[in-house]
Amino acid sequence: MNDPLRRTAWTILAGFLVLAVATTWIQAVAGPDYRDDPRNPRLVASRVGRERGAIVSSDAVVAARSDPSPDTSQTFVRSYPGGADYAHTVGFVSVLFGARGLERERAGDLVSNRDATISGVLNALMGGDPRPRGLRLTIDDTLQKVALMALGDNRGAVFAVDPSTGAVLVAASTPGFDPNTLIGPDSHLAGQLLDDDPDQPLLDRSIATTYPPGSTFKVITTAAALDAGIAGPSTEYPDPGALVLPGSTATISNYDGKVCVDGTTVTLEEAFVRSCNTVFARLGMEVGAEQLVATAEAFGFNSVIPYDLEILASAIPEARSFTDDPPATAQNAIGQRDVRATPVQMALVAAAVANGGEIMIPYVVSDVFLSDGLIESSTTPIVWRRATSPASAAVLSDMMERVVVSGSGRNAAVPGVRIAGKTGTAEVTGQPPHAWFIGFGPVDAGPGEPQIALAVVVESGGSAGETATGGSVAAPIAQKIFAEFFQ
Amino acid sequence: MTRNAEAVLIAAAATLAAIGVAMVQFAAGSWLDADVALTFIVFAFTFGVIHLAFRAWAPNANPLILPIAGFLAAIGFIEVFRIDPNLAALQRWWLAIAGISAAFVVWLLRDSGVAVLRRYRYLFLVAAVGLLLLPLLPESWPIHGAVVNGSRLWVRVTVPFADVDLSFQPGEVAKVLLTIFLASYLADRSEAMATVSRSIGPIRLPEPRHLGPVIIAAGAAFLVLMYQRDLGASLLLFALFIGMLYAATGRGVYVVSGLVAVVVAGVVAYQQFAHVRVRISAWLDPFADFTGAGYQTAQGLFAMGSGSLTGSGLGLGRPDLIPEATTDFVFAAVGEELGLAGSIAVITAYALFVTVGFGIALRCRDRFRKYLSGGLTILVGIQAFLIIAGVVRVLPITGLTTPLMSYGGSSLLASALILALLGRASHEERV
Repeated sequence: MNDPLRRTAWTILAGFLVLAVATTWIQAVAGPDYRDDPRNPRLVASRVGRERGAIVSSDAVVAARSDPSPDTSQTFVRSYPGGADYAHTVGFVSVLFGARGLERERAGDLVSNRDATISGVLNALMGGDPRPRGLRLTIDDTLQKVALMALGDNRGAVFAVDPSTGAVLVAASTPGFDPNTLIGPDSHLAGQLLDDDPDQPLLDRSIATTYPPGSTFKVITTAAALDAGIAGPSTEYPDPGALVLPGSTATISNYDGKVCVDGTTVTLEEAFVRSCNTVFARLGMEVGAEQLVATAEAFGFNSVIPYDLEILASAIPEARSFTDDPPATAQNAIGQRDVRATPVQMALVAAAVANGGEIMIPYVVSDVFLSDGLIESSTTPIVWRRATSPASAAVLSDMMERVVVSGSGRNAAVPGVRIAGKTGTAEVTGQPPHAWFIGFGPVDAGPGEPQIALAVVVESGGSAGETATGGSVAAPIAQKIFAEFFQ
Repeated sequence: MTRNAEAVLIAAAATLAAIGVAMVQFAAGSWLDADVALTFIVFAFTFGVIHLAFRAWAPNANPLILPIAGFLAAIGFIEVFRIDPNLAALQRWWLAIAGISAAFVVWLLRDSGVAVLRRYRYLFLVAAVGLLLLPLLPESWPIHGAVVNGSRLWVRVTVPFADVDLSFQPGEVAKVLLTIFLASYLADRSEAMATVSRSIGPIRLPEPRHLGPVIIAAGAAFLVLMYQRDLGASLLLFALFIGMLYAATGRGVYVVSGLVAVVVAGVVAYQQFAHVRVRISAWLDPFADFTGAGYQTAQGLFAMGSGSLTGSGLGLGRPDLIPEATTDFVFAAVGEELGLAGSIAVITAYALFVTVGFGIALRCRDRFRKYLSGGLTILVGIQAFLIIAGVVRVLPITGLTTPLMSYGGSSLLASALILALLGRASHEERV
């Protein structure tokens, strides 16, 4: 009488065994796949809803903050009070588009540590503060706003650092976007518009786009010649309006096709101040591909610059690809042809000259602070590499100062401050030239004296179009930043 | 002595519920408040009052069923509290009411024993069928049906002179009444039904009139499915009938014909009803229609996958993202926050409950008590199996409450009746 009952019992228990196996499969075997599935709203919820630490500028302006959600307890709402001001560097955390910028790279600091993971429990047991930590940026809010204002409606970028530490003072890219519009679950349209915008507002032009550096690259060509002992500031060169490149019919001419001084001879310094292409094309061929590439790489080309965010590497071709091609060497030497540089790279070129030839690792996060405001850790400036000798840097500094005093960079001058710089007008086939200015100030800064090195690029000449030059378009933007910095 | 052990284990279950609530509050960043104490008090009261009723009127009742039920109720309650504290506050009332009801049933049967239920078997059948049909009452009546989530399972009572609607799921209680009826019917007829009267080839069949109940069962289940769009209840009732018929007669033909009926009914339902087709396709590939039919299943899988081995911790997961996480999908909520450890513990607890229940049935010498305790155990076991199987994709989602764990007064009341009857039946066999 009991056997059927017993069999029924075993059948149901076998059913539970099947459930146990299925549950084990879902949770233990397939678990990570389900957990990490992009459609799993937990990813989004943990990204968006958790409390995150504040991000503030060096002058204590809030760039990102979390406030308790008015709707539900336990969740927080992230906002970016500065709107587009820090859109590229700070980034955002979005339900639909994931995380970008520091919000992504420094999530480990920014996100609350209170969870049931082993590390979370250990942290709690060790008396660690489970609340999220905040970030203090090196960016100066006033300077950042001035840079964005100066760039205006143009496509372009400004990147400025303290040459002696590598602390980033300005990281501006235009056009920008308001990250607040990309946070919520209803931000699909806003994201689509930004994605489809031909001006690419989401792109951080200061670190993620390369441009031909044009004449700003002459700083590197000159450094190569100085370091190799091939030339000095007073070395004399012929001064033709155009130079026929050996083994070809191609010519390199000066910006306006005219001679640089009087058509006889010109010193290297004078040629630098007036940015004579013919002289630097000749100098480049004398220096040779090997030395040119070696110096460019010493300045950081072909390397990924270490930074809080990912920087696109600036590029110069391998030396052997143009060792036997003097015309290519000549064109590369004036920052055309195959040379490409990010604004951050060119800012570091200026910073190297300002800092006696040494480049500091750029950094944008100065401090990590606890929720009570106490600083947990601070970034220590670290030397990245030596770009050129102190002697060459000193010579370049003098030459660059003359560019601003009496040469193509006069528009960057600030009364009472020794500003040094170099303009660039990078030719691009089929479109207006990119306007460049790189520079720093003050020249020969004393110990502890604030110093700034920067690069400005205005894509395709901005509103000036075909008539744009580095001196007329980029230098005035740099001037505004210098003026604010030295105010 | 065993009653004392039961009291200690009940206190442990109440403590578990209270600690769970405290952990949820801690995770939410709030400090402990009255909820913790209230939860302990309500659990201690609910299971304590049944315990005292057992002491008074069923002293030899099996001491394991209450603690296991308490454990499941505690785990379920913690997740309900975690997802919706307001719902949990109501659930505490349902728990208390369920406890009092169970104690009342034990008291009612104190002298007559469960045997008295046999006398009213047809009353129970009529009541059960009536309850099952209640949701079909038109909306304009003071007592009327209501459609919730596409299924017509609810009855709403508009209380006169007070602007209050009381809702309940009559099907929950109806299935217990049906089990009583069936146990009583089978106690009278099982031997006749087990007798082979004719053969068709190798298949030996009982008298056709004894097959009647199977056909009625299949028909009733199918009608419930058609009119109330309730896949779960119809499958549960049908499985209960077949399981009890087989347990009582030992005739495999009931199981075979039952399975055939299920397949046929399933095929017909698949062809006739769009909502059945949707359920099936969502089962086979929940991600094919991720934002539509497969949404709930997918959210359950995400929750359980995110829970992994040890879970997010109480209050630290997001079970609130799962649709119906306080009722049908409470198992997924447990899986997320307590991990595989928690979900296996729940399955193990149900398996223990089923083992204890069948243990009671196996020890019964009286047929009615045997079929009653066996039937009630089958009811809990199959209901737990069907709903969990839906969550972990062993079967399509059927839409049933998770016994003892889900939010809901009707479901808890039904479970309380089962606890009282199992306790009383086990007591009577030891007297």
